[in-house]
Amino acid sequence: MHWINWLIVVVYLLVVIVDGLRRTRGTKNIEGYFLASRRLPWWAVGLSVMATQLSAITLIGTTGQGATDGLRFVQFYFGLPVAMVLLGVTLVPFLHGAKVYTAYEYLERRFDAKTRSLTSLLFLLSRGMSAGTIIAAPSVVLSAIFGWDITWCVLLIGVPTIIYTVLGGVEAVAWADVKQMVVIVAALFALVAVLMWRLPVPVDDAFRLAGATGRLRVFDFSFSLTETYTFWSGILGGTFLMLSYFGTDQSQVQRYLAARSVDEARSSLLMSAYWKIPLQALILIIGVLVFLFYTFAPAPMLYNPRHDALLREKQPAAYAALESRHAAALAGRDQAAREAATVKGSGPLLAFKAQNDALDAVRKDALAAAAEASGESSRDVNYIIPRFVLDNLPLGFAGVFLAAVLAAAMSSIAAELNSLATASVVDFYQRWYRKEDTDAHFLTVGRIATAVWGCFAMVVATYAATLGSLIEVVNRFGSFFYGSILGVFMLAMVKRASALGAFVGLLSGMGAVAAVSFGLPQVSFLWHNVIGAVVVFAVGMLLSLPKRAAA
Amino acid sequence: MSQFKRTLVRVLVIQVVTLVLLWFLQARYTT
Repeated sequence: MHWINWLIVVVYLLVVIVDGLRRTRGTKNIEGYFLASRRLPWWAVGLSVMATQLSAITLIGTTGQGATDGLRFVQFYFGLPVAMVLLGVTLVPFLHGAKVYTAYEYLERRFDAKTRSLTSLLFLLSRGMSAGTIIAAPSVVLSAIFGWDITWCVLLIGVPTIIYTVLGGVEAVAWADVKQMVVIVAALFALVAVLMWRLPVPVDDAFRLAGATGRLRVFDFSFSLTETYTFWSGILGGTFLMLSYFGTDQSQVQRYLAARSVDEARSSLLMSAYWKIPLQALILIIGVLVFLFYTFAPAPMLYNPRHDALLREKQPAAYAALESRHAAALAGRDQAAREAATVKGSGPLLAFKAQNDALDAVRKDALAAAAEASGESSRDVNYIIPRFVLDNLPLGFAGVFLAAVLAAAMSSIAAELNSLATASVVDFYQRWYRKEDTDAHFLTVGRIATAVWGCFAMVVATYAATLGSLIEVVNRFGSFFYGSILGVFMLAMVKRASALGAFVGLLSGMGAVAAVSFGLPQVSFLWHNVIGAVVVFAVGMLLSLPKRAAA
Repeated sequence: MSQFKRTLVRVLVIQVVTLVLLWFLQARYTT
């Protein structure tokens, strides 16, 4: 990469760290460190919420998904605006009004200590591991693209994030998020502009080609419990997932607890409701545009350079045969694309689709061979955008994009570390070990906890490749209780619900999700949250009935 | 109308406009 691109990345990192150091002035006590003294404006909280949710893998993986699969993934977010509005009128006033530090602290006030501790522990378990995977995903890509050791990539992302999170607390995190969101959106619009400019045919003709391959199909109205991305799973399953994530996950709740008032907390959530679907559609459209770019330009057979080199080295004969098939299929598709773009009618479009399918078949064989040669899943989709950016963008743009990837990674990790530290200190250290001490003491403990979680995340990220199956188990375990915790919060808003009902309901909900995950009937993961929340609520209410009868 | 309701209406308008644009993309280009 050109030195000017590196300069842009270095300037970005310096600005984030220096600003983080500047924000340490506002963190003289525990409320300032964990909740920015509840004085953040709604728009900063809103941007922080959006930046936290937009991770590096969204930037590189979702754009890649747009290139290979098209726009249908956007249905996943259809429930988000509904969830934000529901949270604005239900949970946000409860949590903000209760003046708590963590969402789980509220559960002790409403139910008992064991429900609080269990939900907080579940959060620590799943988020602790996921912080590692959030660092690992972009590190693996950077490592393959630049040929660096993975440890250096983990350190490049992890160390600056830990520095400004440890020193500045939530205030540094939120204001860094604001800047990071600006960098990310600027990079996205720059990508769209460059891609439109580089297309050799008018956009309208190019989109007809994308449409012929099904990449512009957004809506799928089929009602299937096993199909992940449909309109109904997005609206129903997506609403429950977003309610669980934004309503009960400390990394999100902590953002809006830092807002000045209930109204400002609500407005910050509505900011996500405004922009999430358009932003996600833009990210996927970038992917479609990259597909169109490579329709008229020589596309690599494998986008992951490490796997390409490995396959070439370990199976030279198979590689040469695949390369020759790929070149022939590429030439056929190129010719069909140019004809379909100039000659109107369905015939040329069908011919283009057939050529595109033939190329996909060669790619499928190449990916299988690469997976066999490397002994790991190829995840080639994550390398499409980085390869495009480094090989094709004008000077300076690659630097902005790399800064945006780092920004997306850092904003998500910072929020995770800050919330992990808050839950550890408030829900465990302060609750069970040292109830009373000075603010300075808890501030120091908070900083140590942030640093410890940061180091833990970096260790998990470094060994992510070897921990692959373990991380998958933990992530799967995480999905067991997301909806179930939402069910507990739903119970908390019902007056008659009892502590026993909440605790047993929580265990029942997790059991029900485990049953549909491993047993029968098989249902797609977006429905897990619906099942978890409904079972917790139903069991909780049933167990609370005797209390009402006794009263 | 309260501030929250006004914001809510705006949120709904943006979602409807986005969905209509996506529908247009699908209807115009998907064969």
